[in-house]
Amino acid sequence: MSSGFDASEFLAGYLVEAEEHLSASTMNLLAVEASLRKGENNPRAVRELFRSLHTVKGLSAMVGVEPIVDIAHAMETVLRHADRAAGALSAKAVEALLAGLRAIGERVRALSVNAPVAPAPPHLLDALAALEITKNEAPLTVEIDLEPDVLVKLSAAERAQLIQGVEGGRRALRVDFVPSPARAAEGMTITTVRERIGAFAEIVKVVPLSIPVSDAAPGGLAFALLVLTDGRDEELAAAVGATPEHVREVLHPRPEGGADPLGEPSTAEEDVGETEGRRRGIVRVEVARLDDALERLSALVITRFRLARAVDALAAQGVNVGELGDIVKSYGRQVRDLRGAIMRARMVPVAELLDRVPLIVRGLSRATNKPVRVVIDAGKAELDKAVAERIFPAIVHLIRNAVDHAIEPPAERRRLGKPEEGLVRVTCFERSTNQLELCIIDDGRGIDREAVARKASRPVPADDAGLLDLITQPGLTTLEQATKTSGRGLGMDIVKRAVVDQLGGEMSLRTTLGAGTTFTLRIPLTITIVDAFSFVCGDQTFVAPVAAIEEIVEVAPEGLVRGPARHTRFGEVRFLERRGEIVPLVNLASVFSLGAGDEPKALLVRRNGAPLAFGIQRMVGQQEVVIRPLEDPLVKVAGVSGSTDLGDGRPTLVLDLVALSGALSQNRTEVAV
Amino acid sequence: MSELYVVFKVEDGEYVLQASDVLQMESFAGATKVPGTPPYVAGLIHIRGRVVPVVDLRLRFGLPRIEPTMDSRVIVVQSGERTVGLLVDSAREIMKIAPEGLSAPPSWMGGESAGFVKSVAHVERRPGEKRLVMLVNFQKIIGQEGIYVDERNG
Repeated sequence: MSSGFDASEFLAGYLVEAEEHLSASTMNLLAVEASLRKGENNPRAVRELFRSLHTVKGLSAMVGVEPIVDIAHAMETVLRHADRAAGALSAKAVEALLAGLRAIGERVRALSVNAPVAPAPPHLLDALAALEITKNEAPLTVEIDLEPDVLVKLSAAERAQLIQGVEGGRRALRVDFVPSPARAAEGMTITTVRERIGAFAEIVKVVPLSIPVSDAAPGGLAFALLVLTDGRDEELAAAVGATPEHVREVLHPRPEGGADPLGEPSTAEEDVGETEGRRRGIVRVEVARLDDALERLSALVITRFRLARAVDALAAQGVNVGELGDIVKSYGRQVRDLRGAIMRARMVPVAELLDRVPLIVRGLSRATNKPVRVVIDAGKAELDKAVAERIFPAIVHLIRNAVDHAIEPPAERRRLGKPEEGLVRVTCFERSTNQLELCIIDDGRGIDREAVARKASRPVPADDAGLLDLITQPGLTTLEQATKTSGRGLGMDIVKRAVVDQLGGEMSLRTTLGAGTTFTLRIPLTITIVDAFSFVCGDQTFVAPVAAIEEIVEVAPEGLVRGPARHTRFGEVRFLERRGEIVPLVNLASVFSLGAGDEPKALLVRRNGAPLAFGIQRMVGQQEVVIRPLEDPLVKVAGVSGSTDLGDGRPTLVLDLVALSGALSQNRTEVAV
Repeated sequence: MSELYVVFKVEDGEYVLQASDVLQMESFAGATKVPGTPPYVAGLIHIRGRVVPVVDLRLRFGLPRIEPTMDSRVIVVQSGERTVGLLVDSAREIMKIAPEGLSAPPSWMGGESAGFVKSVAHVERRPGEKRLVMLVNFQKIIGQEGIYVDERNG
């Protein structure tokens, strides 16, 4: 490992990996904290944390960052004990671990900007070591009243489950069931016993025991059932065919004011105070919940339209609607404001998104042996989370290109009279209420139009716009030999696809030979993304949101209900039977006048409880799609809610099959056959 | 002052649009059909990140449909909030027309294309050889929302 080991290249990878583990660990630690608030352990998150810290420690040792090794080691020790104790971590431990992650993060960032790495803070190491000791003692503070041979069968998690159950106000009880042929004949076996007890108690563990053979126990076998319950002893005893005396409490609630680790003053107070302050007032919310709120809001919008119509109708009858009209108007404004508020809740600061950029530049700079300074100016701009996720890879790619291809090696820069250190700037501002402008600027060699044209065997583009069109052609690369860092990953065509085709943004380029290049991305602040099925119907591909589709049904001729056919203006309506329900089936291709073909599959939707199946040719797949609304009146039709790009550069229609089923049912003019 | 116009052909007719309204011109590589739209809506295309509806001017003018050729062009026109592509047989010329060169369309220009022509101009191709170009009424072609609904139902 010592010979031929390229430390600088390794460091680039290290920085990225460490950052990933740190952000994953923060998430996991917050998950532990959330569980803790509910009085539960989170063994899975603790296990993940332990693994991450272990990895960070190992990686840090390889690059020789002792302070990080020390902190990670102390944290790892705490987590190992927690893992053995079924994920039990005190609030104090969580705070100290958060402080530890923060301390590691600071040192990783220092590394990435070439700053000196501070030694591990002694008070932090002390705080972590103190936790380790209390953790060691923790399992001993609770005694479970069981024979050693039963106790040994309980895992740490199961013990913790019992303790938590008792702390949660239930009783931890043991009752033994002895199976016998006579009992089996009465239908009482361990399986039925489990079922019966499971109905009113939580079964923590069933331990099989070998007992002396007797008349009552001809098999010499018994089962000790450990349960948590609010139920009565009699109930439990009856379930195993025993008397209440045989029910035994195995764990007693801890006395008030006992060894409660949460109440102790925190020795790591100073260190964690700031973290605490920053997290106060912040709630982590799944984006899906916000989407749900938006969907409910759209129902309000419809109500507003109905109100407005009703008021108009009153006015038409000569009623004076003066005040009512004003109320409807202000209600409309309020709904709009509410929508804005929900949309704002989905926004993340661009500065946060770009947090990782210095780290990436640092890594690339090391890998290419080019000193590069990075300047980020994101101001207070914010971006929808979904847009941020989609735009970030494009930003990374442009930055990678800048360091790899644009910035000249230091010797060349010196010769050209440029500062040895290259410059990459990322700036960002809100151009309007719905568009953000992001610039990725370098002071490198600029893009040589003629060289690009030669490479692509194309005419030399007349201007920068033409050059951009050329370099975003799929498969174009101007470097004879792909470099280590840019050789794979996104090409410029993928950047364009993400920015322009998927997000509906714009992209432009300004380059001056010898002086540098600026890529300008204009992207919408918000977009609508849904999980959608794609399918073919009438030889055209469509997508429909998964949420709207109740079921994908195989249409087999024998599954169709025989009966008189009904012919309507949108084709023949047939009926299929689905779990005892008769579901009308229409061929989507005939509804859309695409020519009726085979319809071996159908998408079942339900509108106001009424089912309708749309026959289609075949399913293609399922993916997340960005929906672009269709606003032009020329293409505003029932059942088509927008358009998306599945990657072929062509618009694919997004169908609203529920709305389409509504339009069909209002339009059910039958035609004579 | 003379203004610039984009000249395009549909069948044998030569039409013009104000160049300042034209965003760009693209060759036509097919469009995504939108079910339920009038036949003259050729479908949707992507133009620089935008989804733009395309109107087939042949069908809009009541002419028979033909397969697109190498010469077929989509002229992307912006008018107020709306951006619509017009599919034409060819478009390869830009010309200057002075405002006084434009006159009201002759009364015989009725039938299917009624109202689609705003005014006409006689321009000189070569000395002594004049030709007629027609300035199209873009608003009428893309239809205002209300008019469009009436047309569909009627």
